[in-house]
Amino acid sequence: MATPVPPPPAAADTAVDYLNLPCPIPFEELHREAFSKFLSPFQSSISVLFLLVCNLLISLFPIVSLKPDLFEGMRFDFTKMLNQKFTLNHSVLMGPTEIPSQSTETIKIPTAHYEFGSTFIDHPRLLLWGRILTDGRLNARVKWDLAENLTFKANAQLTNEPHMSHGVFNFEYKGKDYRSQFQLGNGALLGANYIQSVTQHLSLGGEVFWAGQHRKSGVGYGARYNTDKMVATGQVASTGMVVLSYVQKVSEKVSLASEFMCNYLSRDATASFGYDYILRQCRLRGKIDSNGCVAAFLEERLNMGLNFILSAELDHKKKDYKFGFGLTVGE
Amino acid sequence: MASQGKRGGVSLPDRPSDSSSVLAKISRSSIVVRGKEAAGDAAFVAKKLLRSTGKAAWIAGTTFLVLVVPLIVEMDREQQLNELELQQASLLGTPAPK
Repeated sequence: MATPVPPPPAAADTAVDYLNLPCPIPFEELHREAFSKFLSPFQSSISVLFLLVCNLLISLFPIVSLKPDLFEGMRFDFTKMLNQKFTLNHSVLMGPTEIPSQSTETIKIPTAHYEFGSTFIDHPRLLLWGRILTDGRLNARVKWDLAENLTFKANAQLTNEPHMSHGVFNFEYKGKDYRSQFQLGNGALLGANYIQSVTQHLSLGGEVFWAGQHRKSGVGYGARYNTDKMVATGQVASTGMVVLSYVQKVSEKVSLASEFMCNYLSRDATASFGYDYILRQCRLRGKIDSNGCVAAFLEERLNMGLNFILSAELDHKKKDYKFGFGLTVGE
Repeated sequence: MASQGKRGGVSLPDRPSDSSSVLAKISRSSIVVRGKEAAGDAAFVAKKLLRSTGKAAWIAGTTFLVLVVPLIVEMDREQQLNELELQQASLLGTPAPK
């Protein structure tokens, strides 16, 4: 990543070509680098809008979905590619799952799940993704390019518990140096966001949302500054949430990330720091945060298409320790 | 013998009255009292300090075990792999891919 060309970018910086700005990334993926370094274990596909809403209404999104990477117990994933476009996915997960409760003590019950999934990719126009669990939970996603710069996305989570199913439809229009989205969800959830590149590196955006069922609405602003060595993002919302993140790529193998998240209204703040090592045989991610929580996630490549996963999470404050191991077969 | 010893014990109130007064004087003197208090405080603080350092060491140790030990192991593996590749490249006579 040696870039011994400081003069041209400097020149470009002094005279920004405002007509040839790059297209920014979607507003909902503002923090995707930091999140993929799993400082915050949010799935990047879940909209920031949802994140803001779920900050408001804790019950809206189950906490389990906020931790896609770290797991407890044993997991086995098998992926079979039937042809170029169609992929089947089987996975078994055994281990204790936490039950959200009011008390500070965590309650865990042993569970075992089988998950069946399928993915259909007609690159790059259509993507269909579905996962179903034995307890009846179903996740489905659609991404469909309706026109050259109009994309339709849908995301649904269905459960057999009442009032826990969610669906969001999303229309995205991608301009030359801006993106705008319109979101429609159940529970009269409406949202819109817009992000615009201001200079070569900086993009600014904003969003509004309205959750009719819960009578909440809000406005949010975001900014993102990225070069090829670092990414810094910031986001503020009227729900009181402030998220700042910074990711620095130290070398080709190592990146470091830090994040600060606080909620102005509920007066809680979390700062975390993480590393991400991508080596030839493995990928190792580690994280430590100000809640006394330490986590590490190791993916070791044993053979072609055979990965061994180790996951560890220590919560010193709650005295809650989670360890998991797993195997991933097939890519 | 035992009875005599007992008698001696019984006769104690007479003799130790003055010796105990000395002891009492000593034990009542402010230096001793303050020393006792200080010793008690020191013991208490030492106990607390020991406990908290133990806890801190435990947290630091487990954190190290989770965050740093896998990193060291993997870096070592990577190093070994690199060396092996370099060796093979030199054996085969091809330039090392780097």
